[in-house]
Parts: sequence; structure tokens; C-alpha cells
Amino acid sequence: MPLTYPVKAVVIISLVLLAGAVFVTLRPGGGTQVFAEETTVIRVAGSTTVLPIVSRAAERFQARHALVKIIVNAGGSGVGIHGVGTRRFDIGLASREITLKEKHRYASSHLQITVIGRDAVACVVSSEVFHGGVRALSKQQIRDIYLGNITNWRQVGGPDRPIIVIDKEVHRGTRHVFMQYLFGKSNARAPGARLVTGSNNEEQAKIAQSDSAIGMLSIAWINDEVVGIGIRDGERVIQPTLDNVRTGRFPIARNLNLITAGEPQGAVKQFIDYLLSEDGQKRVAESGYIPIQLPHTVSWVAGSHSK
Amino acid sequence: MNKQPLFPERGPAFWLTGLAAAISAGTIGLLFVSLVVESVPVFKSEGVSFLWGTDWFAGEVYGALPMIYGSLMVTGLAVVMVLPFALGSAILTSEFLSGRVRLVVKAAMELLAGVPGILYGLMGIALLAVWVRDLFGLIDGNTLFTAGLLLAVMILPTVMTLAEDALRAVPGETRDTALSLGLTRMETVMQVVVPQALPGLAGAVFLGLGRAMGETIAVMLVIGGIDRIPQPWFDLFASGQNIPSKIGREAAEALGFDLQWSALIALGLVLFVMVMTLTTAGHFLLRKAR
Repeated sequence: MPLTYPVKAVVIISLVLLAGAVFVTLRPGGGTQVFAEETTVIRVAGSTTVLPIVSRAAERFQARHALVKIIVNAGGSGVGIHGVGTRRFDIGLASREITLKEKHRYASSHLQITVIGRDAVACVVSSEVFHGGVRALSKQQIRDIYLGNITNWRQVGGPDRPIIVIDKEVHRGTRHVFMQYLFGKSNARAPGARLVTGSNNEEQAKIAQSDSAIGMLSIAWINDEVVGIGIRDGERVIQPTLDNVRTGRFPIARNLNLITAGEPQGAVKQFIDYLLSEDGQKRVAESGYIPIQLPHTVSWVAGSHSK
Repeated sequence: MNKQPLFPERGPAFWLTGLAAAISAGTIGLLFVSLVVESVPVFKSEGVSFLWGTDWFAGEVYGALPMIYGSLMVTGLAVVMVLPFALGSAILTSEFLSGRVRLVVKAAMELLAGVPGILYGLMGIALLAVWVRDLFGLIDGNTLFTAGLLLAVMILPTVMTLAEDALRAVPGETRDTALSLGLTRMETVMQVVVPQALPGLAGAVFLGLGRAMGETIAVMLVIGGIDRIPQPWFDLFASGQNIPSKIGREAAEALGFDLQWSALIALGLVLFVMVMTLTTAGHFLLRKAR
């Protein structure tokens, strides 16, 4: 059937547009070239613990530097380190150290760590459990819960309800640090787990939704429904507070890291310098973490969490 | 009469459409080939235990059975749950509703079919998981059952609207003949129209099945995310994992690297083969039904 005139015109116009689009996209450097001289894009991704700090800082930084565009994405510490290692991101966010394995894998990228703050991982429970009497647990008790040896809150002085043990994706920074504390092995297994979550938001939501869950969470994410419990050590109970982290009493503390491939340069360096400045460190405190007193760069020494 | 050439006319239109077709076909072929190539390392390292192994721990061991089990389970559940509702409402809409009401229902269903998965996921995590927990007195609502139920809700509009199309495609004379022979309205529908539309109905279910099997984000939020086959295996109120959710959770970390990446690609290959098998089986059944 022959095409009528208007239909023909539409077909031809669309084909021309399509060809044009293909041409523009395939041309080397096409598309972005227009902006290349003006705008620098910094790609950031990784730990959802570090993310709030960087989002806040990026907002302020961009307000002052009109030509820098910062794109911040989540994914988890493993994703951040992997992304910088494979040069897909300019800055990786990590709430843990780089493991020995990652160090070897991305050796050619010369991963560099810049510490921008301090944080701690608390053992958290649903508020119903807390109000039901579980105010603190010993390391051994938490260990037994994650191993599946303790399965009811009654066994640790709480209400008579099964424990919903929440584990995290294996590469997550929070899990590395928590498992390192519990089992001395950052990739220890947790056969007692019932659910596996990813980001801090997801874990927080699932614990809040349940009335009998236990999990691991950065202390900045604790709230009325997701309560951080104390760690019992003999007669002593150490509460997960910023003060106890600052003084080194709380046992599960960690650095919040920015990862770059080699020494940061250009706009990336400017942004990291801003994060280390007084104003940048205010964003760290604003996000619920502990600012670091002396800005310093540590190049990777096989992280203590990577045995 | 001259023998017809294979391609009768080779104008610009032929070459353009031919190019488009070749690109489409080539993409699928390339996808399959690259899935196979990239998953070779994990099969070399794990052997067949990749398919039968029940233990998956990134960096140590890769056994895909819990994910395969989860995929089959939630998809099966979704189909079982969606069938009565989708077919029932399709029959009602096609056979018993007046023209105008029918159009409104169809439009609404087609609109619903296009709702992005993440919205269902959010509803699932906010409401469905809690309802399932309270309704069945569970300790937690993130289960295989919840995922299956959510998928059933998700594919309902697709299956319903396609099934309705299939029923409408049965010619009106067939119904008239059946009615004039003295069959009741119900007999006409159940014994004449539905059997005739069976291939189309099966097609509708298989398309829905395809969407359910590949759905990632909605399932990821409610399935529990744990790579384990429940004890006993038919305990649907336990947490689990399906293939898309597993890939979704681990892909960004493993992108292009290591055995873990290969293992995820191999999971993708398994999913691909599963969907293809279903579709092929579907077509085979359809031909038989005719």
C-alpha cells in the first residue's frame, strides 16, 4: 500500500532526526564537548553512611563554584571502592577501610584514603524490644544471636518473641566493621540472619517496621524507633553516644573515608579540601558524625579490617 | 507464474527496515553470546555445583540454587494467585459489560499495567509486608509469599487486559450460534468462547509470567534478600531471594570484575534460559491447543 503524503513526511523527518541523533552521539566527544571547557563534573558514589555529609557539602560547594557539578550516588562502601578502582567515579565513599583483596585488585589505581570524619556502628533493636527490657547486650550475646544460638528475646531478658536478625549485604562498610568487632573477621557469616538489607535507610525502615528486630547501624541513624543499645562488658555498659566514640570508650568506631585514585587533583581536590575545612567539617557534625580535629591524609595501609 | 523472489522489492525502505530488523535480532544474539562468554569463568571454577549449590558467599562460593528456587517459587505463586482474578475480570469485561463501561475498565487496566515497579515496591514494603505479617500472624512480613502476592498484583492488569483481548477476538457469530442452539450465556462463555480463546489466554498468562520473573525492584524490597532455601522447602512464609533481586543487590559492587561478576552474569543466563524455556513451551502448547 503506498504511503500517503503526510505519513511519508513524518517517516522521513523521524529518520532524519534519528540519523542526526546517532551522528551526534557517536561523534567522538560529542554531546559533552559543548560544556567541556566550562563545567567539571565530579562523580561520587558509595557508602550510604558517608553520603549525607557529602550531599550537604556538595550543595554548598556548588553554590560557590558555579562551574562544578557534583553527582552523588548511593550503593555501599564496596561499590564506592570498586567504582574508583575501575575509574567510574572520581570519589568513592567508604565507611570502612580498603580490604587487602581490594587493595590488590585495584593496585593500578593507587587508591588513596582521605578521612573526613568519625562514626561508630551501634547494635540497634526495635523500640518495642528496648522498652521490653533489652537495654544492653554483651558481645557474646550479640555473637550468639547472629550465629543463631539465641533465637528468642526472652533468652536475653526481653519479651517472649522470636528475634528477627537483620544482616547486611556482604560488601557494606557497616557490616565489615560490625563483624570485625564480633568475630574478628570482616566477612564472617551470620547463619542466624533472617533478612538481608542494603542501605542504611532500608535497614532502618525494616527495624522500625518490626517489633522484634536486631541490626547494625551507624549511630547517626539511630532514632526513637530504632534504638541503639549499650554494649555490656562485665559490669560496665557502654552506650553508643558521640561522647563515648570521641573518647574511644565505645568499641565499634570507624573512620569515614573518601577514596580517590591517586592524589586528588583539580576540582576533586578543591572539593575534598572544602570537606576538610571548618565549614566542611560543620557538615560532618550536622550529619550526626564526629568531625576530625586535624585534617590528614593517610595512604592505604592494608586496613585493620581486612584480615 | 514467475517464482517469487525472496525479497521482492529492494528499495530504500527495504534496506532501512532490514537494518532495523537486523539490529534487533543481533542485539538479542549478542546478549545471549556475551552472557555465555562472561559466565564461563564461574562454571569453570564451580562446575555444575553452581546450579545445585545452596551456598552463595561473594568471594568464597557461588551456588545459585536458592535464587533459582526463589524465582520459580514467587513466579509460580504469582500465577496461581493472579489466574482466577485476571480470567474472571477478563470474562466479565468482555462478555457481560456494555461497550462504554468496558472501554473505561480497559483504559484503567492498561494505565495500571504501565505503573513502574518501584511504586508497587514501595506499596509492598510500606503496606503489604505489614498486612501479610499481621494477617498470618508471622514474626516478619518480608517473605516469598509477600513477593508472590505483590507480583500477582503487578501482573494482574497485564494478564487481564491481554486475556480480555483474546476473548474479544472470538467472533460474535460464534456466540450467536451457541446462544441460538439453546446454550445459556454462561455455557456459551465457558464452553465455546473460552476454549476458542485458549491460545490467547495462555499467551496472556505467559507474558505476565515473563514480567513477573524479571521484576527486580519491587521483589527486592519485600522478599527478604537472604540466599537460602527455606526449611522445609515449601515454607512460603520464610524469607528468600530471587535471581533479579540478587543481581540487583550485588551488581554494582562486582561490575566487570572477578568471579563474582561472572557468577552474577551466569545467574542472568539462568534467568534468560528459564524465561526462554517458558516462552517456547508456551508457544508449543498454543500450537497444540489449536
